[in-house]
Amino acid sequence: MAFWMTTLIFVLVGVFASLVVRLCCNRGPSVNLLHLTLVITATICCWMMWAIVYLAQFKPLIVPILNEGE
Amino acid sequence: MAGGGCCPSMDLFRSEPMHLVQLIIPMESAHRTISYLGNIGLIQFKDLNADKSPFQRTYANQIKRCGEMARKLRFFKEQMNKAGLSPSAKPTSRPDIDLDDLEIKLGELEAELVEINANSEKLQRTYNELMEYKLVLQKAGEFFHSAQSSATAQQRDLEARQVGEGSIDSPLLEQEMFTDQSKQVKLGFISGLVPKEKSMAFERILFRATRGNLYLKQSVIEEPVLDPASGEKVEKNVFVVFYSGEKARSKILKICEAFGANRYPFSEDLSKQRQTIEEVSGKLEELKTTIDAGLVHKDNLLNSIGHQFEQWNLLVRREKSVYHTLNMLSIDVTKKCLVAEGWSPVFASNQIQDALHRAAVDSNSQVGAIFQVLLTRESPPTYFRTNKFTSSFQEIVDAYGVAKYQEANPGVYTIVTFPFLFAVMFGDWGHGICLLLATLYFIIREKKFSSQKLGDIMQMTFGGRYVLLMMALFSIYTGFIYNEFFSVPFNIFGPSAYECRDPSCSNAATVGLIKVRDAYPFGVDPVWHGSRSELPFLNSLKMKMSILLGVAQMNLGIILSYFNAQFFGNHLNTWFQFVPQLIFLNALFGYLSLLIVWKWASGSQADLYHVMIYMFLSPTDDLGENQLFVGQKTLQLVLLLLALISVPWMLLPKPLLMKKQYEERHRGQAYTMLQGADSESYDMEQEHGSHGHEEFVFSEIFVHQLIHTIEFVLGAVSNTASYLRLWALSLAHSELSSVFYDKVLLLAWSFNNVIILIVGIIVFVCATVGVLLVMETLSAFLHALRLHWVEFQNKFYEGDGYKFHPYSFASLGEEED
Repeated sequence: MAFWMTTLIFVLVGVFASLVVRLCCNRGPSVNLLHLTLVITATICCWMMWAIVYLAQFKPLIVPILNEGE
Repeated sequence: MAGGGCCPSMDLFRSEPMHLVQLIIPMESAHRTISYLGNIGLIQFKDLNADKSPFQRTYANQIKRCGEMARKLRFFKEQMNKAGLSPSAKPTSRPDIDLDDLEIKLGELEAELVEINANSEKLQRTYNELMEYKLVLQKAGEFFHSAQSSATAQQRDLEARQVGEGSIDSPLLEQEMFTDQSKQVKLGFISGLVPKEKSMAFERILFRATRGNLYLKQSVIEEPVLDPASGEKVEKNVFVVFYSGEKARSKILKICEAFGANRYPFSEDLSKQRQTIEEVSGKLEELKTTIDAGLVHKDNLLNSIGHQFEQWNLLVRREKSVYHTLNMLSIDVTKKCLVAEGWSPVFASNQIQDALHRAAVDSNSQVGAIFQVLLTRESPPTYFRTNKFTSSFQEIVDAYGVAKYQEANPGVYTIVTFPFLFAVMFGDWGHGICLLLATLYFIIREKKFSSQKLGDIMQMTFGGRYVLLMMALFSIYTGFIYNEFFSVPFNIFGPSAYECRDPSCSNAATVGLIKVRDAYPFGVDPVWHGSRSELPFLNSLKMKMSILLGVAQMNLGIILSYFNAQFFGNHLNTWFQFVPQLIFLNALFGYLSLLIVWKWASGSQADLYHVMIYMFLSPTDDLGENQLFVGQKTLQLVLLLLALISVPWMLLPKPLLMKKQYEERHRGQAYTMLQGADSESYDMEQEHGSHGHEEFVFSEIFVHQLIHTIEFVLGAVSNTASYLRLWALSLAHSELSSVFYDKVLLLAWSFNNVIILIVGIIVFVCATVGVLLVMETLSAFLHALRLHWVEFQNKFYEGDGYKFHPYSFASLGEEED
């Protein structure tokens, strides 16, 4: 199912980003935890936004009705 | 402080652990110690002499001296500004100068400068006077010369006429007049300069005062002259007044004085005139060279001051701050030590001890300073170690209120959620890219901008550059989700999910298109743009999205209150605040979110308004066609009951339990007082002194809890509604940008005229930048700010702490400018 596939992609991107942040700026456990929190929060925000928009179009109750002019 | 170790420490989530330290510093190394501590900048001294006036303090004299030196430096700066010099920006390599040497040096320099100024002023005055004198000589000389020549011409004419006697029109009295030389009245005269604007009044007054018995001749000087008295450029007239009699003379002199007219002696004798002119010119030349030499000397002096000005300024400021800090320390009874108390972060202890040690060694002190940690009940200041990226986000939080010591810092989540919520309202990747470019400009030229002084608005934009960067990045993301590039959609992620129902596409404008494949994979399907059902679709989507995002963020806030309760070991808050709050919010709005998602996923046509309203009005009624899933009615009943229970759960147990706890503690305290009377009484007293005896007033606690509960219950509804601003603003943004695109750019394009097109593009760019990029950014920023300050932070944030202001040399410059 496309929804779960894209969700998986989001998860992978999130994991990848946290790894990159961890490798690029490793400055002790407490700073790393901050970076991890930020990456996770950002990933969840982005995923939520996408998921909401995707789900809203998943089984639409209304369809696009084109304008007369077009 | 109760410090629960509920979770691994996270940077920025809790403010740095602080302790109150006491330093006992020997008198001889005190100054050096304080200045070393100022270099570290991690200790905030307490004023231990708060009851003493500034003049009663130990180092009042030194501060006065520093103030005097600062005044001299300001004087130098003024002089340099007047001379158009600026102090060299980079402080030269600093050989350590002693304050006493500097004081002497500054004194000498000031005296020298004052003397030079006085001399040059005096010289300038003389020069100006001579200049005026010269002008008078020239102008009056011309006048006398022309008068004399005309007089001689007349005389000659007359003589010629006398020779040729018999003319009828020759006046009868002529002979008498000119021949009788002895009877001629001796006329006196005064010459000088009068300001041009006063010259008319001057003339009138003179005329009246002497009843017309005078002759005034004025002549305009083309160029303004420097007035000797004021040193300013004034337009002046040269005048010569002829009068008769001593009385008139004294009157004229008085009038001259009143009008500020400078008088200069003038001789009638031509040769004498020439002689004085020569003399005056010679003197002028001399003075000119003297003045120039003086100016060069002054310039050199100021230049040499300018080289070291910044260094001296820094030194004086530092010394002043050191003495200021020393004044806050209390003197030991033996007058051999100073006692300092102050807050410092725990991590800085080693640094501070190291500095104390170095200071003791460097000042050859026999005893080192003593460093010890004091126990106190006072709440320590809040100190977050931020970097240039996180500091601007922390400032957003601090603007609302500085965090209580070690409470969960919303700044951590603000770093992501603030720009995210902004971007939900500002979703357009075209505008996002514009914002990104502007921000990148600031970030790339960061070094240059941070060293120079900027205007108010520029300073604010520059300070928030990393906030802007995050905002721009998230706007680009949400722009892709909304599928808007300056309001134009693109088929980047594949074809649209909708197609015509039949090949002719005849009913696309009446019945609409039909969905032929899976939903558009990323973001809003481009086909919606410009369709008749665009607004109903987007409104429904954005409204529901606002609620989902809002419920998620409010839940995050409540969860943070759990972390606070755990951290401070406050189990009352966990069980009687966090748990019922979480249940209440999710029983109502968590359930609404669930319904929204369920409806989307199932494609049901149930009316969610109806469901939510009748959940309260008649919970036992059958849902009918609005049923989304089996057992919905039971679930609703359970949720409603939970929500109803959680209100008294929030309200009642906490104050009652607090009362019980207090009574238990009080009883226990009474026991210890009786038993260990001697050993603990001292501690108790100290505690009382610093903390005071806290009275437990049940009614106050109860009312406080009542307010808190009402606020939360009502807030759950109003805050959820408040998140709808996300929908409103994002709608406004997309509508505005599509209006600008359709009604300006496309309209101009349709005329097929280059000029109209250019005008259209200019209008479009101005509208986009002015309205969408500036105004909309501001409004979306403010709304995101509100959502964080009110809707998010009121779930957990107390914000009644105070900021850590360490004594630091690094922050001296910012304060005074």
